[in-house]
Amino acid sequence: MQVMNKPDAITECNTLNDKDFMRYSRQVLLPEVGEAGQLRLADAHVVVVGIGGLGQLAAQYLACAGVGELTLIDMDKVEVSNLPRQLLFSDADIGLNKALVAKERLNFLAPNCTITAYETSFNIKQLYGVLQKKRQGKCTLVLDCTDNFETRQLINRSCVEAYLPLVSASIAAFSGQLFAVDQISFPSSGCYHCIFPAHTRVSHSCSTQGVLGPSVGVMASMQSLVAMQLLLGMDSRCDGALHPLLGHFWRFDAKSLSWISAKLTRDPYCDVCGVRKAIPYLT
Amino acid sequence: MILIHINNVAQSLTQPTSLAELILAQNIALDSIALVLNTQVVPRNRWQTILCQHEDKLELFSAVAGG
Repeated sequence: MQVMNKPDAITECNTLNDKDFMRYSRQVLLPEVGEAGQLRLADAHVVVVGIGGLGQLAAQYLACAGVGELTLIDMDKVEVSNLPRQLLFSDADIGLNKALVAKERLNFLAPNCTITAYETSFNIKQLYGVLQKKRQGKCTLVLDCTDNFETRQLINRSCVEAYLPLVSASIAAFSGQLFAVDQISFPSSGCYHCIFPAHTRVSHSCSTQGVLGPSVGVMASMQSLVAMQLLLGMDSRCDGALHPLLGHFWRFDAKSLSWISAKLTRDPYCDVCGVRKAIPYLT
Repeated sequence: MILIHINNVAQSLTQPTSLAELILAQNIALDSIALVLNTQVVPRNRWQTILCQHEDKLELFSAVAGG
């Protein structure tokens, strides 16, 4: 089921109005943002898949920062065990769909943001709206904030097929992972399937291993920071190999507070983004 | 003999060893991890054809899918 709201547009011309200039002044102050950057955010459309620990915070950051349109997707309902880390929700929301509750809260927190909520699992048809925006030349992104490997594979495949940039974060216990890929501006970095093919054995999830709320918050904050910089087009003059954000894979150790970065490389035999047929390697 | 580092632990190899052979020798299933070789993620399809070199630094890690 799809639910939309239609607030007043932040701007219908190429300048911020006085009210929004005040609201976003701390961002506009940054030379990397400025009025043009703020208008760029207002013109952007971000799809957030998974409105759990990661997605509920990333959606707040993006909506409140002035991103013009968000699509929120989650089939799950709020549970009492979510409340220590999913701070957008309260006891009164238990049993309600996460995407719908988040939409209602964000309408209040960020009235400039147009929000569409899907209370279903992810499917590629939910990207049609953002693809229309992309064809109109607007900034578009997909954030993977989900909690299972199979959906992460589906989102990755969908983004590769739709040529949409993907910013993916994950966390379980004290280990976080984050990466950003874009098949148009940096195809040589490959995709999620190049790192972890679909048949990879995975055992790390919050429901089986546990997690601390601030660890989730760190990953969601970094994911939002990467997303905003990509939307703002910062360092867009860099070619792929020099881009400071695209094509990197970061791992976070929440015990030592250390980050490790590695560069991604495309698997030419990748079933999802490769051009040649995969070869068997488990022989 | 060549010296390599796996997750910051030094290890010596006495014969040419591929990345795949090295991982299997650690009793780690190939389909359970990703591998970073000298700060670059190496796709699994290349593990059989890349031989470890002296002073290589390898990081092995599992997928984290929670959120």
